[in-house]
Amino acid sequence: MSKKIFIDFKRCIACKACEVACEMEHGEARIRVFEFPDLTSVAFNCRHCEKAPCMEVCPVNALSKDDDGAVVLDPLKCIGCLMCGLACPFGIPKIDEYNKIMDKCDLCAHRRAEGKLPACVSACPTEALKYGDINDVLWAREGKIVAELKDIGDRTNVLEAYLIR
Amino acid sequence: MAEKLVPVVCPWCSVGCRFYIVNVNGYPKKIEFDYEHDTRNHGKLCPKGVAAFQYLRHPDRLKRPLKRVGERGEGKFVEISWEEAIKEIAQKLKEIKEKYGPEALAFLGSERCSIEENYVLQKLARALGTNNIEYVCRMCQSTAVAGKGMVLGHPGLTNPFEDILKAKVIVLWGYNPAATNPVFFGQYIEKAILDNGAKLIVVDPRKTKTAKYADIHIQPYPGTDLAVALAMLNVIITEELYDKDFVAERTEGFEELAKTVEKYTPEWAEKVSGVPAELIRKAAITFATAGTAALLTNEGVNQHANGTRTVMAITEMMVLCGYFGKEGVMSGAIPGAHNGMGAGLMGIGPHELPGRFPLHAEEHKRRIEEAWGFKIPEKPGITYVEMIDAILEGKLKALYVMGTNPAKALPNLKKAEEAFKNIEFLVVQDIFLTETAKYADIVLPAAAWFEKDGTAISFERRVQRSFKAADAPGEAKPDWEILVMLAKELGFGEYFNYSDADDILREINRIIPPLAGATPERLKKNLKGCMIPCPDENTEVPRLFVQGFLTPNGKAQLIPVEYKEPGEVPDEEYPFWLTNYRLVGHFHTGTMSHRSKSLSKRWPEEYIEINENDAKRLGIKDGDLVRVETRRAALVFKAKVTPHIREGVVAAPWHWDFNYLTKDVLDEYAKMPELKTAACRISKVEG
Ligand code: SF4
Ligand code: SF4
Ligand code: SF4
Repeated sequence: MSKKIFIDFKRCIACKACEVACEMEHGEARIRVFEFPDLTSVAFNCRHCEKAPCMEVCPVNALSKDDDGAVVLDPLKCIGCLMCGLACPFGIPKIDEYNKIMDKCDLCAHRRAEGKLPACVSACPTEALKYGDINDVLWAREGKIVAELKDIGDRTNVLEAYLIR
Repeated sequence: MAEKLVPVVCPWCSVGCRFYIVNVNGYPKKIEFDYEHDTRNHGKLCPKGVAAFQYLRHPDRLKRPLKRVGERGEGKFVEISWEEAIKEIAQKLKEIKEKYGPEALAFLGSERCSIEENYVLQKLARALGTNNIEYVCRMCQSTAVAGKGMVLGHPGLTNPFEDILKAKVIVLWGYNPAATNPVFFGQYIEKAILDNGAKLIVVDPRKTKTAKYADIHIQPYPGTDLAVALAMLNVIITEELYDKDFVAERTEGFEELAKTVEKYTPEWAEKVSGVPAELIRKAAITFATAGTAALLTNEGVNQHANGTRTVMAITEMMVLCGYFGKEGVMSGAIPGAHNGMGAGLMGIGPHELPGRFPLHAEEHKRRIEEAWGFKIPEKPGITYVEMIDAILEGKLKALYVMGTNPAKALPNLKKAEEAFKNIEFLVVQDIFLTETAKYADIVLPAAAWFEKDGTAISFERRVQRSFKAADAPGEAKPDWEILVMLAKELGFGEYFNYSDADDILREINRIIPPLAGATPERLKKNLKGCMIPCPDENTEVPRLFVQGFLTPNGKAQLIPVEYKEPGEVPDEEYPFWLTNYRLVGHFHTGTMSHRSKSLSKRWPEEYIEINENDAKRLGIKDGDLVRVETRRAALVFKAKVTPHIREGVVAAPWHWDFNYLTKDVLDEYAKMPELKTAACRISKVEG
């Protein structure tokens, strides 16, 4: 099953702990926090697409999926041609000017190998970032909404219940 | 490569987050999250916590004692040996004491050093015969300590963090935890709001990341919070929303308070604070009818020359509604630094004994004198900001500064700089050459927080141990070790017989009753620590005021409060309200955070927020350079034009040069300077 980082932008406070944590692990942050004028903020990293365009265009097969479903880059194969960066609809893979190869989020492969959470998820103080089987996360959210609806339905005066909330 | 994980307490804010430093042969490689232990942060950290190892090996770290060769403030020094440095300091302190008396000496402790180190420092000051011993609480929490002290008998956070999850209403007043305590915000406050449906009331002139979640956002002019609080008291009393049984049984002074606030109607408050009367009324009703409420205040309330009054009025709102002693309620203020509460409890105060007993609490004084073997000086010392005047008047000749940076933290910095230029003898021990250290005669290199064992007390009243996780660079030494060396040279060796931090903590256990049970053994075994008061090794106190308040008669004192303006208000010449705030990525005067590359990269410079309508009127566009002038000084900032600050108010983060602009007028109870409100004028820098 594929594991992903789920982003709950309602909880994000733009503190950038995720960026700093990623930078600490990889030298450069592979996650970025975007802030909007209405104070909404959202952290964004590689989505590890099910049908990843980057993997399809890589001429030397430097990109592959690992057991958790993360799209990871083999630095020994990568030739820095930037094709993955061009193909990615989010512009995630970036060129590492120093090593002349691409650099992208690997869901912290080395941390997962040690049984740890990805660094950004570990840090995020608000749990705006959650790591797990994407369907589990989505089911949990669906379940919460349904429970709330049931809660409202249980009250005699539905309209009033809405007003209280 | 021997890699070791050493458990530490975060060195920045006062949430008390725990994590590990990954130590490779004494070198701090990075941090690692602690998801194994039962911690208050549940493994989580904010960006400062994550970056906390970066400043440790910064090339600017002080590695050897320095002696000034250039002018004061110039920053020219030569390296000297420890022996030379300590000898010279001891000699100079003795000389000044003999010539001018012990009151010509003063000491500054630090909320960033351990309780052990602060304890040793105040003991040394007293051994030298002076109570001139202060720390930055004066400019951070002193009004909260005084105000809550008078009303409740104790300034501490009343309940453990979890209790806020059950609050029906949360009021965050002059407090932006999403930026200043992100882990407390994310793990507790935000969950209460988003998961448990708590209502949020925010009082702040800016629309902060915290205010984004508010149901009611009150935006007073900076420092007029007192008007809003008095009007809320007025509504709670006139509309009879208070808890009558609670008021009758557990409080004193209700009639007098009711009479006093009669005139402070929401309509009156609207004129003073600019907050619509109806919004104040709505907030008061929401707060008073909630059933359970948490009310947390911070610097937006504290750092004003009317701060103590505001704290009293806000605290009395909690009292009237009977929101004490249960789950789901919380009252408190939040010290800025990781050991803000701990340093104070050590007696780092000109009118206080260890344990925060008043200087003249005879019974405690005698008890401590007996244990120490020498007399505690009779005469109370002078407070932080007053020390500057004392230096300029020639009364204070020597200042000994441990781990703090007054040359950037004090109000009206030009005047403070004048004082540091003219002092006879200045010693600074720190981890970097701070702005203050540049004026020093002798600079001593200290070990950083992760380079020693030490104890800190978080804002939850939680005592926790942090362990040595890295070797100090060069010849840097833990602050307590430096102080012990100096004490021996001064001839006080017999009173300072410590060989490690544990020795000092054991003495603290004996001297300070609320800490009797926070023994080294207990804190090492249990990383989560214990909540003070902990009178013995099996006891802690999660909730305050369950039985009674800590005032002499056990009743909350509803002291009548009259309105008073903040230290400076706008007029025709200086028409804007100027205030400041903190950024999530920086800490205080930036000694450590400006030197953390992941932080300074993301939060690189200062700027000033100005409302879009004001900007339009003045022809200022986003990114323009603007000159901001107060009666003390003028600074140039980049303008950030935004709708998220109320019209008529401008605000800048304070981690850079802000304090050149502030005024050194003091709160009459706590001697807090007016750090958060000034009157200014603004003009675009042309060209
Ligand atoms: S999973 Fe790891 S590599 Fe990817 S954004 Fe998070 S910290 Fe960076
Ligand atoms: S750490 Fe979490 S709350 Fe902070 S910016 Fe990243 S996603 Fe947002
Ligand atoms: S919230 Fe405070 S204690 Fe926790 S990691 Fe951030 S600065 Fe450190």
